[in-house]
Amino acid sequence: MSQYGFYFDKEKCVGCRACEVACQVWNGSNQTVKWRNVTTLTRGQFPEITGVNVSMACMHCGDAPCKKACPRQAISKSEETGAVTVDQSKCVGCMLCLWACPFGAPKMSTKGRMEKCNFCQERPMGIKRACEEICPTQAIVSGLIDELANFSKKNVADRLSYTEGGGVVLGHEGT
Amino acid sequence: MNQQSTRQIINEIRGTRVVPGVCIVCPWHCPTEVFVRDNNVVYVRGNENAPNRTTRCVKGISSIHLSRDPDRLLHPMKKGKNGNFKVISWEDAFSVIAEKLQKIKEKYGPEAVAYLWHLDSNEVFSQQLFVQLYGTPNWSGHGAACDQSRRLAGLVTYGHPLPTKDYENSRFIMLWGEDPLGPNQSLHENRELVEAVKRNAKLVVVDPYRSRTAEKAHVWLPINPGTDGALALAMAHRIIETGAQDAEFCENYVYGFDAFAEHVKANGYTPQWAEGVTGIRAETIIELADEFAQTKPAVMDGLKGIVNYSNGFQALRAIFCLNAITGNIDGPGCLILKEAGPLLPPIEIPEEEIAVPERPNISTAMGYPLAPDIPSQLLPKAVLEGDPYPVRALFFHIVNPAMSDPNTLLFKRMMAELDLSVTIDVYMSETAQLSDIVLPEASMFERAEVRESLWSGPQVILSQPAIPCLGDSKPLYEIMKGLAQKMGFGRFFQWETWEDWAKYVTSFLPVSFEELKEKGVWQGELRYHKYREEGFQTSTGRAEVYSELLAESGYDPMPVYEEDHRVKPDSEYPFQLINAKMQNHCGTHTQNNPYLMEIESENWAEISVRDARELGISDGDRIELTSPIGSVTIAARVKEGLKPGIVRVLHGHGFGRTMGSIARGKGSHVNPIFDSQVNPVSGGIGYNECKVRVKKV
Repeated sequence: MSQYGFYFDKEKCVGCRACEVACQVWNGSNQTVKWRNVTTLTRGQFPEITGVNVSMACMHCGDAPCKKACPRQAISKSEETGAVTVDQSKCVGCMLCLWACPFGAPKMSTKGRMEKCNFCQERPMGIKRACEEICPTQAIVSGLIDELANFSKKNVADRLSYTEGGGVVLGHEGT
Repeated sequence: MNQQSTRQIINEIRGTRVVPGVCIVCPWHCPTEVFVRDNNVVYVRGNENAPNRTTRCVKGISSIHLSRDPDRLLHPMKKGKNGNFKVISWEDAFSVIAEKLQKIKEKYGPEAVAYLWHLDSNEVFSQQLFVQLYGTPNWSGHGAACDQSRRLAGLVTYGHPLPTKDYENSRFIMLWGEDPLGPNQSLHENRELVEAVKRNAKLVVVDPYRSRTAEKAHVWLPINPGTDGALALAMAHRIIETGAQDAEFCENYVYGFDAFAEHVKANGYTPQWAEGVTGIRAETIIELADEFAQTKPAVMDGLKGIVNYSNGFQALRAIFCLNAITGNIDGPGCLILKEAGPLLPPIEIPEEEIAVPERPNISTAMGYPLAPDIPSQLLPKAVLEGDPYPVRALFFHIVNPAMSDPNTLLFKRMMAELDLSVTIDVYMSETAQLSDIVLPEASMFERAEVRESLWSGPQVILSQPAIPCLGDSKPLYEIMKGLAQKMGFGRFFQWETWEDWAKYVTSFLPVSFEELKEKGVWQGELRYHKYREEGFQTSTGRAEVYSELLAESGYDPMPVYEEDHRVKPDSEYPFQLINAKMQNHCGTHTQNNPYLMEIESENWAEISVRDARELGISDGDRIELTSPIGSVTIAARVKEGLKPGIVRVLHGHGFGRTMGSIARGKGSHVNPIFDSQVNPVSGGIGYNECKVRVKKV
């Protein structure tokens, strides 16, 4: 079984919410509520403030809690891609999947059934998902989980290649 | 993660075809791909052949609604005696306008007509009709409300009005009052900026508000409002005092370095002095100046947060001088003096047919000879008082000064006095409602456009009509053609379809028209260090820290710090009101978009946690802002990331927006409380020159 998923780079996300709208526009015909949401949080006091922007849809978990929680077997996981999707004809809108999901991904649709990110199911693997294609800073990246891990490592290597001075890096980088 | 020919894949999935376009929601006009099925726009994304790749900002992806908004303006209309609009034919609209234009020309001269526009490159048609043929010098973009001071600072310092940024190769980036990651700029630049920061390029942001860009910065300097020039001059002082300037570059390419060095010293622009003005510690200024001078390549730039002050032009001059004395210009990782692609004007007018106006344009006549665009906030003076000469007709193309200019009441009085007012727009804007005649324009999805992009090298975008025009709307070039025929200039506007003129306009490009149509963009080579062979386009051929042009025109030839014109808070009005664009809206024309209104449906005023506590204001309360000329009620948001003593207001909503069913009644129109402040050199509008008191309602 292959597992595709999303990589998200909070250092790149500027909280613009283009991904939310990209998802709405691309999946407009079967989306009644936003599947992807951006959250911006700040803490601290002026002028020492920190914060984060996070864009999240569904993580398409390897061992999806929503799937286990569903009393109607409405949620399935694709053998081919690992995408977790919901069969609207079986869903009764009980929201147990939302209780089980650690990320709040399942949403109650205006039709009283659960809706969520389907990993842009019409799009073949190998091209970008709509949110990813539109993201101005390319903070969202989709792909095979192994590829994403390597992508992340390559980013770190790229950063280190700009660090002047010694060739040995111990522990975590400072900022 | 493979992006090969994804156009084709999406077309197969959705049964669409791709029409290359351009987004004109904001002034950075990124190239797009429009996916069309049965004359409907199904999806839109960035053009994968362009540097922005497939990306769109939130306003760009949402703009799809524009292609099907039932609230769009669909028919030409004329205001009757009772003040109500009635639909008329294009034929009648053109006749009425042409007749009035003829009468005005006979009575007052062609200068009595002014044509104001936003950023559409199709404006070249109106330029040819109104300036070259009809003969008015008063044809102007919206610069006064925008980057006017930056453009003039660029022109006098580098001989270039619109330098772009090469973040990708930069190692030190300092942005002043500029928030590219918030309300957006060129999307490729934004992507390159965050990538550069990830590679540990140092990012310094100067802004009293913790903007989206400040969030990503290594150093955020919440400066006292309107004091950026003092900080920049103090950095220059430190660099020169320590001899850290790029001596070789100054020797070969900078004009007036010695005078500038003497100037910053003699005026005592020291970091210690700047600490008292800016609220930023002298040690910090020294550290940053040293690091900036030692790190190459580096880029410094500023925008709206600075140019909204009456001393903003001087501040930008100082910032541009910092780039110059450290040799950080037009190289990899620097400000780039962008080259344009070789485009021709769409129609040929023989030289003897080109009108020569008798009077100077209104900027010059009003005492702003260097203003790149007309200071539109001063037009009421010309209309109401005939000073410096009468202006009797105004044209507005996708500009909405009734919403965007300061002092709304004065603007309304002016509109009532005109002999003719015409608005060309896709929506029934507030300005359109005050006009005599309203002409419906086709949106960016329905018409062609050939334009230079804002990529650093030469790049031409060919945007093509993706769907038929909605209702009776017409592209601007067809409107100008129809008007030209009634004005007696029809012989110059001869084409069957847009392709006829677009082919001519692009005939010098080293690419076939068919290939350009297919790709939507043509990109030339990005050349660096062009000044080494060609010099700078200034009178001395050098980057001018001492500007001969400013000296000749009677202004300070070198950047100075002055506070004389600046409106500062006092005991009666204790807050500085600053003005900003929303991340999720642009100007006054995105408020009928359901995607964007779902995100932010009204505008608000931000106040610091400390000030809110003292005034007993909580998040979401309604507050009243009162300036010396008026007051407005607006929703409050309490923010940690705002320097105390400031109210930051987001503009674009309000006025009971009648432009569409979604915009209607949302938000508060804040401009009536701004007075018509003018930058004394550039003529730009001083939106941040406002003091207010705040009261919970």
